[in-house]
Amino acid sequence: MTQTEQEYIRILRNRLEGVLPREDLEDLLSDYSEHFRIGKASGRTEEDLCRSLGSPEDVAREVKATHLVKKAEKTRSCRNIFHAVIATLGLGLFNLVFVLVPFIFLVVLLAVIFLLGVAFAVFGPAAFIFSLLQILGIPSFAIWQSPLAGAFFSIGITSFGILLIVAAFYLARFFYHLGIRYLTWNIGVIKGAEDIS
Amino acid sequence: MNIQFKKGVLEICVLSVLAHKDCYGYELVGEISKRIDISEGTIYPLLKRLKDEGYVTTYLQESAEGPPRKYYRLTERGRKEEQDQKDEWMRFAASVNALLEGKDDSN
Repeated sequence: MTQTEQEYIRILRNRLEGVLPREDLEDLLSDYSEHFRIGKASGRTEEDLCRSLGSPEDVAREVKATHLVKKAEKTRSCRNIFHAVIATLGLGLFNLVFVLVPFIFLVVLLAVIFLLGVAFAVFGPAAFIFSLLQILGIPSFAIWQSPLAGAFFSIGITSFGILLIVAAFYLARFFYHLGIRYLTWNIGVIKGAEDIS
Repeated sequence: MNIQFKKGVLEICVLSVLAHKDCYGYELVGEISKRIDISEGTIYPLLKRLKDEGYVTTYLQESAEGPPRKYYRLTERGRKEEQDQKDEWMRFAASVNALLEGKDDSN
């Protein structure tokens, strides 16, 4: 349990250094310094003030998660959303289930759609070429009963594959936006794990 | 009281206190923790967020005792947000109360 101003500020600084921009960090720390200064001037002890403030680790965790989610919102990248999700996971056991599970599910779902798309988009043209060879009477793998129907079917498969790949990208974008909104809401409601208030 | 509740309503509490008067951080924290039992440390990041979102601005003002203090003031946007959130909360609270008390809604 934190008992002095120095320790409270030190924990915040250690945990947020390199996460928040320098200016934001100093700004936040100066808020707590002012809080201690005025509190002490009105006769309260540092220990008492620390007790009311609660755990600095919780504050740091929450500030970090909020910042990383905002960053992922501003600059879309796999790396940023990954960091945001990890930081949000730290906010409590609840999030292991309600953030991690949906996140993994979505990543796997998108990967499956994408890979299926790639598979079709590769298999389609190959099948088309074999059908052509078969039509032209050149010996090759005869994969269709009817080469002409096979050729059309191959075109269909190729288009479907490309469609799946495009769909995977649009879905990823959609879930990214949705995910950011969910994380923002989540941070606003979920408490830190070791909050003792 | 359940901490999820508290965190959810903390924002409107802060906006509401600031709608009555400008406050410095310590004063604002005092106004809120006087009525709601919270970890006071979580209010400063919230104030920062409200500032980033343009609901509050800050200014420094000299105090009789010691160095200047950072005051928080609602912006026009913040005032509107406070009003909207208050209306929403009042409607919500009225519905929940009616439900909990088992009143007939059909009056």
